[in-house]
Amino acid sequence: MFHVSFRYIFGIPPLILVLLPVTSSDCDIEGQDGKEYESVLMISIDELLDSMKEIGSNCLNNESNFFKKHLCDDNKEGTFLYRAARKLKQFRKMNNSDDFDHHLSIVSQGTLKLLNCTSKVKGRKPSSLGEAQPTKNLEENKLLKEQRKQNGLCFLKRLLQKIKTCWNKILRGTKEH
Amino acid sequence: MTILGTAFGMVFYLLQVVSGESGYAQNGDLEDAELDDYSFSCYSQLEVNGSHHSLTCAFDDPDINNTNLEFEICGALLEINCLNFSKLQEVYYIKTKKFLLIGDSEICVKLGEKSVTCKKMNIVKIVKPEAPFNVSVIYREGANDFVVTFNTSHLQKKYVKNLMHDVAYHQEKDENNWMHVNLSSTKLTLLQRKLQDDAMYEIKVRSIPYSSDYFEGFWSEWSPSYHFRTPETKRAEKMDPVLLTISISSFFSVALLVILACVLWKRRIKPIVWPSLPDHKKTLEQLCKKPRKNLNVSFNPESFLDCQIHKVDGIQSRDETEGFLQEAFPPQPEESEKQRLGGGVQGPSWPPEHIVITPETFRGQSPLECLAGNGSTCDAPILPSPGSSESGKNGPRVYQGLLLSPGTTNNLLPPPFPLQSGNLTLNPIAQGQPILTSLGPSPEEAYVTMSSFYQNQ
Repeated sequence: MFHVSFRYIFGIPPLILVLLPVTSSDCDIEGQDGKEYESVLMISIDELLDSMKEIGSNCLNNESNFFKKHLCDDNKEGTFLYRAARKLKQFRKMNNSDDFDHHLSIVSQGTLKLLNCTSKVKGRKPSSLGEAQPTKNLEENKLLKEQRKQNGLCFLKRLLQKIKTCWNKILRGTKEH
Repeated sequence: MTILGTAFGMVFYLLQVVSGESGYAQNGDLEDAELDDYSFSCYSQLEVNGSHHSLTCAFDDPDINNTNLEFEICGALLEINCLNFSKLQEVYYIKTKKFLLIGDSEICVKLGEKSVTCKKMNIVKIVKPEAPFNVSVIYREGANDFVVTFNTSHLQKKYVKNLMHDVAYHQEKDENNWMHVNLSSTKLTLLQRKLQDDAMYEIKVRSIPYSSDYFEGFWSEWSPSYHFRTPETKRAEKMDPVLLTISISSFFSVALLVILACVLWKRRIKPIVWPSLPDHKKTLEQLCKKPRKNLNVSFNPESFLDCQIHKVDGIQSRDETEGFLQEAFPPQPEESEKQRLGGGVQGPSWPPEHIVITPETFRGQSPLECLAGNGSTCDAPILPSPGSSESGKNGPRVYQGLLLSPGTTNNLLPPPFPLQSGNLTLNPIAQGQPILTSLGPSPEEAYVTMSSFYQNQ
């Protein structure tokens, strides 16, 4: 009997301490009542998706690694939004129109403004979109660039849709509570 | 040690107090003065020029010397940390797309590089909408109301879309008595009956963001005023001619109906609505409506004044009766209403020399009683019979009764019993006594029953 209580006293609490970060959220979300999202962020997301209506038919169906690694799981919505918002920033300087960049900035910076994440989440740098590989001639390089841009826009569209879905999930959860 | 510590403490305390009164006092005064003098207020206007927003700030004190003063906003900006205001006389403003519209910003008044005063503000909570425009008022004669419409640029905006509008109107001669109506749409209906007739009105509109919305702020500027005049009330004169015609004709119809009802009430309407019960006297009069010219028909008792009235006791022989009948006596004066036979004899008329005869079977019973209405005791109606006999009568005996014309046989019923040359006794009766009357049936006379009285002709 003595050894059983010893195990419970000295075994389980450390286990809880180890598992606690796994289950807890790394990011606190402000504006869960949805006012900031519905009045500002959603307007910009819809503007961006409207401008990318034509993109989608040429996109590949395979899921990007980013979405395989980062999901809008329960208690992980804040982390996902943080990573997605930081990814959005990378698309700002891709020869887009001013309005396009403007709305991208609103979505990324507005989302980051509403998140209060720990240094653990903040510390990891987002992966780059990919570098242009050296090619033999200019035409191939040009084609590759075009392809990359297309892939990038496909990814961006997918990313914006995921951000919208995750926000809706957060707000639904708030209304249920 | 204790004394030394106390001494040091007192010195430091005195230093603080003295420094507060002298050196820093000036700065303190200046700071107080700056806080009072450099207070300012700001408002924002979103999407005022395409996707550009504006932020306008001004000092509350208009007399302030703002020569070296600048405004700066930091925080809640896109891709930059701070922005400087532009100066236009007494007002500082910024026109930019770089407002994040999420989170607080800090607006500071700067004197050179030094911040004189700062205020934390949220751009979305100090929104001042643009003033409405194109206010117009249309009068609808059919509905007797005024439709007020106006336009606002916020209908096409993405952010500040939901506004509350304040419509204010008043009579031009009544300067300070403004009426206010709040609405969220851009159309308002004013009822004519709530406005003065033939008066000049002024109307204007302003807007404010909905307080329950994400965006909040202040009232916009008033729209340009619109002036309109209410029409005169000519309702009494401008009556619809069709309506007028219908009302006049219906009035006359009703009047005509009333007059006709009054005129025809007794003759036509009342007999249908309230039919009168048959009356023996009247029915008999109607039956005798068309008498022969040579007949004097009258039921007036006074006309029988000269007739002799005799009480009948029994039945005499026929011969005696015939003889009696040949002696035409003048009628006796008295008569009562009970001398009527209860039969429906129509239009009969008797010669004045008819005699009333009762059968012997009624001996012992006053024939007057029988004819007076004791119908249960009478087996048969009493009929006059010119051939019936009478016994023991001296004087002329003329009886009052139904006067049957010998020629009328249609409704005359046959006598219930053959008159026999039997026992008929006639007694003279005193004046005033009701008498029996019977009619000598002529061959063409019909048996009169009560039912024939109901045939009003």
